Amino acid sequence: MFDAKLLLIGFLQALFVLLLAPFFAGLSRVLRAKMHSRKGPPLFQYYYDIIKLMKRQEVRPAQATWVFRATPYIIMVSTLLIATLIPMWVLQSPFGIIGDMILVIYLFAMVRFFLAVSGFDSGSGFAQIGVARELALGILVEPTIMLVLFIVALFAGSTNLGAMSEMIALGKISYATPAIWLGMAAFAVATFIETGKLPFDLAEAEQEVQEGPLTEYSGPGLALVKWGLFMKQVVVASLFVAIFFPFGSAVVPGFLGVLGAAVLFFLKLICYYVILAVVENSVARLTLFGSPRITWVALGIALLSFVFYLVQI
Amino acid sequence: MGAQELLLLAVFLYVAGAVAALIFNGSGKFANYLTGLSAFAASLAGIASALLVLTAGAGFRLDAPGWIPFTRFTLEVDQLSAFMVLVISFLVAAVSLYSLSYLDEYTRKNPGVLGFFINIFIASMILVVTVGNGFYFLIFWEIMTLVSYFLVVYEQNREALRAGFLYFLVAHAGAALIMLSFIILFLTTGSFDFAVFRTAKLTPVLSSVLFVLAFVGFSAKAGAVPLHFWLPEAHSVAPSNVSALLSGVMIKTAIYGIIRVCMDFLGAGDWWWGFLVLLIGIVSAVLGMIYALTQHDLKRLLAFSSIENIGIILMGVGVGMLGLALNKPLLVGLGLLAGLYHLLNHATFKGLLFLGAGSVIYRAHTRNLEELGGLAKVMPLTAFIFLVGATSIAAIPPLNGFVSKWFVYQSLFTLGIEGGFADKVFVPLFAMLLAMTGALTAMCFVKAYGTTFTGSFRSDHAEKAREVPFPMLLGKAILGLGCLVFGLGAPLIAPRIVAVVAGLLDTPAVPVSAAFFVFPGDAAQAALSTPLVAVLLIGFLVLPLLLLVLYGGAGVGSRLDATPWACGYRYIPQMTYSSHAFAQPLQIIFRPFYLFSATLQEFGLTAGAYFSTRVAYLVQVEDMWEKFIGRPLARGVQGLGSLIQFLQMGNVRLYCTYIIVALVILLVTIRL
Repeated sequence: MFDAKLLLIGFLQALFVLLLAPFFAGLSRVLRAKMHSRKGPPLFQYYYDIIKLMKRQEVRPAQATWVFRATPYIIMVSTLLIATLIPMWVLQSPFGIIGDMILVIYLFAMVRFFLAVSGFDSGSGFAQIGVARELALGILVEPTIMLVLFIVALFAGSTNLGAMSEMIALGKISYATPAIWLGMAAFAVATFIETGKLPFDLAEAEQEVQEGPLTEYSGPGLALVKWGLFMKQVVVASLFVAIFFPFGSAVVPGFLGVLGAAVLFFLKLICYYVILAVVENSVARLTLFGSPRITWVALGIALLSFVFYLVQI
Repeated sequence: MGAQELLLLAVFLYVAGAVAALIFNGSGKFANYLTGLSAFAASLAGIASALLVLTAGAGFRLDAPGWIPFTRFTLEVDQLSAFMVLVISFLVAAVSLYSLSYLDEYTRKNPGVLGFFINIFIASMILVVTVGNGFYFLIFWEIMTLVSYFLVVYEQNREALRAGFLYFLVAHAGAALIMLSFIILFLTTGSFDFAVFRTAKLTPVLSSVLFVLAFVGFSAKAGAVPLHFWLPEAHSVAPSNVSALLSGVMIKTAIYGIIRVCMDFLGAGDWWWGFLVLLIGIVSAVLGMIYALTQHDLKRLLAFSSIENIGIILMGVGVGMLGLALNKPLLVGLGLLAGLYHLLNHATFKGLLFLGAGSVIYRAHTRNLEELGGLAKVMPLTAFIFLVGATSIAAIPPLNGFVSKWFVYQSLFTLGIEGGFADKVFVPLFAMLLAMTGALTAMCFVKAYGTTFTGSFRSDHAEKAREVPFPMLLGKAILGLGCLVFGLGAPLIAPRIVAVVAGLLDTPAVPVSAAFFVFPGDAAQAALSTPLVAVLLIGFLVLPLLLLVLYGGAGVGSRLDATPWACGYRYIPQMTYSSHAFAQPLQIIFRPFYLFSATLQEFGLTAGAYFSTRVAYLVQVEDMWEKFIGRPLARGVQGLGSLIQFLQMGNVRLYCTYIIVALVILLVTIRL
């Protein structure tokens, strides 16, 4: 059942996400600056920040318990595991034998859950406001993600992420199908929310609630939790790209094919971040009670895609 | 000893412990020990008996001589009964150890009587799931309801009596329907034996009538929407160890009843049976959680979440029934596997959470979330175990809640592929709602853990708390370990449950596991390996630790800050988010479900020169179900009661007349 090559690819994907996450975060910051006609920080600024933070002394509030300290690690390990499950470079889920899309959705829930508990644990009012918003958004966005993935899975006959992207890559599920492109649109909105970018930057709204759940983190803890959240953004983007744009991924895991696919995937992610930056910089932040309107629309699109799926049959 | 002797021993020990506790009612702690230790010993015997049956793959039957002409006492333990005995006994083992200390609270409040009720309650549950005769089933069912009623009202305060009344009413309304369904079966078959019930030849219409009677009757006891409103009241006022049993296992006996009657006796039915069960399941799941989120009483919150979990279990059962109707053994196996697995898991983590809530009450003497907070500092072990329960119930992988939810999703998915058009229409919507429920659960239990255990102390009660005694920790630790083992051990447990289902319905066992993996019948559809998920999650820890070693500064360490940052103001505990504030966004987003009203009242008092009037913000959240179903039901029963009150005047001569009239009627009917 174990395929050594696939396992290796899985680990490499995890490393890819780990090492490039601050790059992508920096990229979106640079793009933002450019759109504001500012010079902006260097592309690799986040690496410098993280390394510097790691050397700093950690200050914790007296209220905090072990949960507060463990959360950065929990966020990191669960996103690393998600990275191994997404079919980024090959048309199979590298660790597909240990889990499917439901595991991925609940690993995201795990990140959210522990981030929320740690926000509570810090005892800071700002963290708790951020936590409440993060969780409320989760309630609004998770149904959309589940519905879209469920429809694609029904097309593919399997909830394995690899099988789903393979079906799209091999053209067995046609893009002409309205169910697919509507689902894609709904999923795109959902990923925007999951990445926590404007207009959905509610939980960690820097100007408003002082980065929400991160308020009390400092030093190495802050470095890891920030890094973990950058990684989460990358895996969310990867999930979207891997399922709906799997072209160019290696069908058989060979060295050159995978290398090419990895480079291509990197470029696809850059495209995603550019589009994300355009959206992010052309809108203002939604209020918490304004965001349901958008998420209900996303859910509506997902439901429409579902209706088209039904009509097909 | 064989399985039969062990089961009888277990029942004997419960009853003997109950009687002994009653005898030693006056001796305080001794009565508590009698209750706890006898229940613990009995639960071990129950576990042994159930394991023997489950491993042997064959049950047993015990016939007792008939005392009553039309019925006889039969114990009939098949694999499903053994599974239920196992779940009940497992939870009882933990709860009885916990009770050794917890019952200290009751040493002055007739501990022997409480112990008597608890043990009889457990024994009646064991008998309900093992008895093989409809007549005795109803008797034990009634004993279970009555005894649990006494446990609910044990505190004897206004709240408890009100909750008890509501419970009594709904439980009996349900019992009447169940009774009616059994009587119809008796009339068509001429016997109360379950074995005969199975062979009953029923017309489709009669069969559907029986299904509706039994399903509505049992779902009232299970606490499924719309007959759920008694559950949060009753489960929150009972002593916490009893709440754990009520939520953990008693409501599951109703699930057992549904499976036994609607699947085992009635066999394959119409398509809409399963669909109705599935629909009630998802509605219960969503609404239960939406209401749970706005509770500010820790035990009420947990009780509402039981409604959600009963909903999830019913979803699994519903898929199983659809599979039976569509004649797809795969669906039957997967659906019931999901339902029964979640039944086991819910007993484990909800038992754990109620015991955790009991520990909080034991030390802090309040259930109000607004007055708790900061307890993790003074009760670290309780906090840790509670967090394990909270993560399990929020379905965080690789713990047990996730595994059973995964099977629910997979059974829905399989239904979407194998089912008819109507199934295809609804299944993705159900999956979507289930995902929403998952997110709601996560939020709810972040709130439950967060407002109880983290942050600053919000009252003196909380500040004075300390860790609970060892037996209470041990009881919870057993269940906490259960959460982990039932999660990681999925590849071993899932095929056992499938064997239970296969034995029950005589269907081929669905393949669900190989080596470290579980899969829904076909590994190509999906696979899950919780042990490997755990290994990888731990293994990946190497990376962040390595980064810290590589880049971390040496020797700067960390220091504690006295308070969290508060924008330059002095930090006070009131700055933290309260339970109300946390749930407020949800009250607005899901406003229609709450009958939520907020009003601003002006008192017209002046408070200082600058503030002209003093206002109060009143928020009221009402349970619309209780308002529209519960209260009319209660009023109707009370009205009916006062209507027929004239029959019972307290006049002895009148009663004598009744007896004579009854005698005459009996004589005449026998003559005929």
